Amino acid sequence: MTTRNKARLIVGPALLLVLVLMLPTHAYAHGVRIDYRVDMTVEILAAYDTGEPMAGAQVSVYAPDEPSTPWLTGVCDEDGRFDFVPDASKAGTWSVRVRLAGHGDIVHIPIGESSGAAGSSGGYAPLQIVLMAACVIWGSIGTALYFSRRRT
Amino acid sequence: MHIPDGILPVPLTAGGYAIAAAATWYSVRRINQKEDPRENVPKAALLTAAFFVASWIHIPVPPASVHLVLNGLLGAILGYFAFPAIIIGLFFQAVMFQHGGLTTLGVNAVIMGAPAIVAHYVFRLRRLGNKESRAKIAILGFLSGSTAVAISVAIFIAVLLTNLPSQLDTVAETAAIYALALAYLPVMTIEGVITSLLVLFIQRVRPAILDGV
Repeated sequence: MTTRNKARLIVGPALLLVLVLMLPTHAYAHGVRIDYRVDMTVEILAAYDTGEPMAGAQVSVYAPDEPSTPWLTGVCDEDGRFDFVPDASKAGTWSVRVRLAGHGDIVHIPIGESSGAAGSSGGYAPLQIVLMAACVIWGSIGTALYFSRRRT
Repeated sequence: MHIPDGILPVPLTAGGYAIAAAATWYSVRRINQKEDPRENVPKAALLTAAFFVASWIHIPVPPASVHLVLNGLLGAILGYFAFPAIIIGLFFQAVMFQHGGLTTLGVNAVIMGAPAIVAHYVFRLRRLGNKESRAKIAILGFLSGSTAVAISVAIFIAVLLTNLPSQLDTVAETAAIYALALAYLPVMTIEGVITSLLVLFIQRVRPAILDGV
């Protein structure tokens, strides 16, 4: 037998086997098993109150059972974004700390049965800030006026 | 330059409160030694408002964004009134703007208040010599405004670098802290110019305001 014939002998059954495997026989198999996994990705977006993203800020993620040592550490990208997938078996309040050059904040994220929301680490709306600042300034002006009145 | 909550260890924040309390006590004592302690309250109240709003005025200095401090200006014009004024301003900034924090109020008061007292003494150097010339007031005004920011930045860096948490990438954080400090160089100049212009203006319009301190 030449080598060419030998090759043909092997290729023939192999092709047949491939064809058999390609038939949709597995659709009629006995049991069905569906596995699923919901990966909840937490997206952190860190920015200064000017709106400027905290690019390169260091992120420490703390699991609920270990509040002192970080479960994960990382760095925000240039948009101040950092994504992580928390361990779903550790339900509770996860803490994420973002820090850059001594500035930063900590945000608490509830993860468990009723998770899947958005939140933030606090802050007021611009209008609230303007109103509160105006009150403080008026308080100062009032103090100044009170103490500068002519004494009788 | 405001250190927020959760960055510093608790003993340090307590120490900051202790120093701030002592400095406030000493400032109030110095104020009460004046002939009329109430005399400077109006201008202290107005400058507290200015200090409070100043941290809201951002100057974009890439890559960071910095804000005016005005502690040198307060020191030069208010003298020992500057320290309580800065504490009140910092309190409102922490509560309303989330600049700084309530636990770090003491530390921040030291960072910004102590240089204000230095600025007060720098500006008092104008009384040396025989005459208070306008050139002297302009130069010392600039120096008091800029040195106050410089000292504040120095204390800020020292406090942060000696308290870097171990889980942080210390090299990156140190580099970020130095980058922020560099961003305050233009602020030093700006505050020097603002202080200089303002004291020159006051000296021309109502020199009595500067006589009290």
